[in-house]
Amino acid sequence: MDIFGNLLLGLSVAISPINLAYLFIGVVIGMVVGIIPGFGPAAALAVLLPVTFGMEPTGAVIMLAAIYYGSQYGGTITSILLNTPGESSSVAATFDGYPLAQQGRAGPALVMQAVASFIGGTLGVILISVLAPAFSLVTRSFGPPEFFLLVMMGLSTLIVMVGGNWRYGVISALIGFALGTVGVDLETGNSRFTFGSAELIEGIDFIPIAIGLFGLGELYYAFYTGLHASGSGGIVQYQKERRFWPTLADFVETRVTLVRSSLLGFIIGVIPGAGATIASLMSYSVEKSASRTPEKFGKGAMAGLVGPEAANNAASSGAMVPLLTLGIPGSAATAVLLAAFLLWGLTPGPLLMAQKPEFAWGLIASMYLGNVALLALNVFAIPLFVQMIKLPYRLLAPSVILICTIGTYSVNGSIVETWLMFAAGLAGFFMKRHGFSPAALVLALVLGPLGEQSLRQSLTISGGSFSIFVDRAASLWILGITVAVLGLGILMRRSGVRE
Amino acid sequence: MRAGFLGGVLLAAAGYTWLAFAELAWLSSAGRLGPGFFPRIIGVSLVALCAYSLLIDRGASRETLTPYWRTTVVLAALSALFVAALDVLGGLLSTIAFMAAALWILNRGRHVQNAVLALALPLCMYLIFRVWLNAAVPRGMLGLPF
Repeated sequence: MDIFGNLLLGLSVAISPINLAYLFIGVVIGMVVGIIPGFGPAAALAVLLPVTFGMEPTGAVIMLAAIYYGSQYGGTITSILLNTPGESSSVAATFDGYPLAQQGRAGPALVMQAVASFIGGTLGVILISVLAPAFSLVTRSFGPPEFFLLVMMGLSTLIVMVGGNWRYGVISALIGFALGTVGVDLETGNSRFTFGSAELIEGIDFIPIAIGLFGLGELYYAFYTGLHASGSGGIVQYQKERRFWPTLADFVETRVTLVRSSLLGFIIGVIPGAGATIASLMSYSVEKSASRTPEKFGKGAMAGLVGPEAANNAASSGAMVPLLTLGIPGSAATAVLLAAFLLWGLTPGPLLMAQKPEFAWGLIASMYLGNVALLALNVFAIPLFVQMIKLPYRLLAPSVILICTIGTYSVNGSIVETWLMFAAGLAGFFMKRHGFSPAALVLALVLGPLGEQSLRQSLTISGGSFSIFVDRAASLWILGITVAVLGLGILMRRSGVRE
Repeated sequence: MRAGFLGGVLLAAAGYTWLAFAELAWLSSAGRLGPGFFPRIIGVSLVALCAYSLLIDRGASRETLTPYWRTTVVLAALSALFVAALDVLGGLLSTIAFMAAALWILNRGRHVQNAVLALALPLCMYLIFRVWLNAAVPRGMLGLPF
């Protein structure tokens, strides 16, 4: 079936009333999650996963994916009005978004970020529609060596690209790998690190770990930094009058930026481990370099706002390509999405699009509709979300702890997993405080079993020779891309792009 | 503080590595790579990197605590008590008790608002998880019907 035929099939799935309702609920929750500082999409997806148990699989995944890309839209509202990013991928939006708001252009900035997010998100979904089937065909020839290299590529990219001390990033990933070895070894049947506990035989479920690290851990850290005491006093006021709307000049000035940043963001999103934050920061850097008036950047340049916004939304679409076609998540949030797929008996990989076209294309088609809904929500419901920014954190925090705890218990009805979630929360706080990477830990925990299995299979096939990782053209391509991405990451560190 | 955290990870990693060498074989009985192959590589790498980091970062400047550390400790302790209470009081009662305690500490002086939230939010959660989704919510030891 051709792309249009598949998209029509997907649309027929996505526009069923129940799936449309789940999509709308998902984008609204995503917006709210994006607005709340210290509660990211990974935590929201992990916490809300149990809520989807009573739903039909396609509807459940449509809702969870909508939360994921919806959060990219919401995070920017606080960046513009409060100079506080709701998400790490919205940090770049503070550079020019907040100065624009201070100059009395909060309205145009909010509308333009919505338009940029829409264009980035929609271009990203168009590229998924075209490239994902081609990716599926290419990756069908992948064997254990390629999968092992992809796991290593995702983790090393995450460690090098995301700021902080690289040693602590590697330590975080190794802890994740170590946790991933707990349970029965599937090849030999031996128990590993179970200490005789029946609860540990099936291994450590990553849902309590993700909820603890990204839900409780982030919340404790937000309290430690005094977020509950800061309030929303610094919020820039805006009026919904004639000056609320952007001018024609705003659109003309940023038309090239929108397309360029969307393409850049998508490419970065496809690389496992890179993600929306890197995409937005790189886009800002590229736009500043390409601009005829770079001196305006940081002082309220519209291109400095819309570039990163288009890029981070395109990147969140791009991240769905390796997830759908390889089963390799590129971030903590997509790792939780992978868990959702597996819970519903859907195994992402090269055959998913051929074997479950109604699911894969239903999800892709829902992303087109989701971006339209988010554009409308962003433009017409901004006052509602601004009211949410004013909700005191001291009232939100106990509710988040409550949802994390009851949500974890409800997954398997296990009090041991609830304690595990609490322990992961404490670990998440200390990791965040000392510059370690909870995202690398979760990604390694999810990818660890696949990494170990593919490494052992590869070495068994080759009789113990590591040359198997450079024997095939596909392996060499993956190695080449990894080296290029790592080189770029190291260059970025040296040139201080992230700072 | 960072050295303490790294030291803790190093200790745990040393225990993990010792178990990987003592209890898990490098090769299986069929002569293939065994259950200890991957854990040994991970364990040794983790121990080496933690030890190296402890050595390199020993001269790092001392970190100071923010003025909010007490609130963070209280909130973490409350969360632990909440998890412990789930098994005793059951889902609904423990969430009401937790919300009341947390709001009393964080939202001081607003008694009516706190009372309404402490009752309304747990009730909503109970209705969503237990009644609507039919998900598992702890019953507790008191034998209450909720």
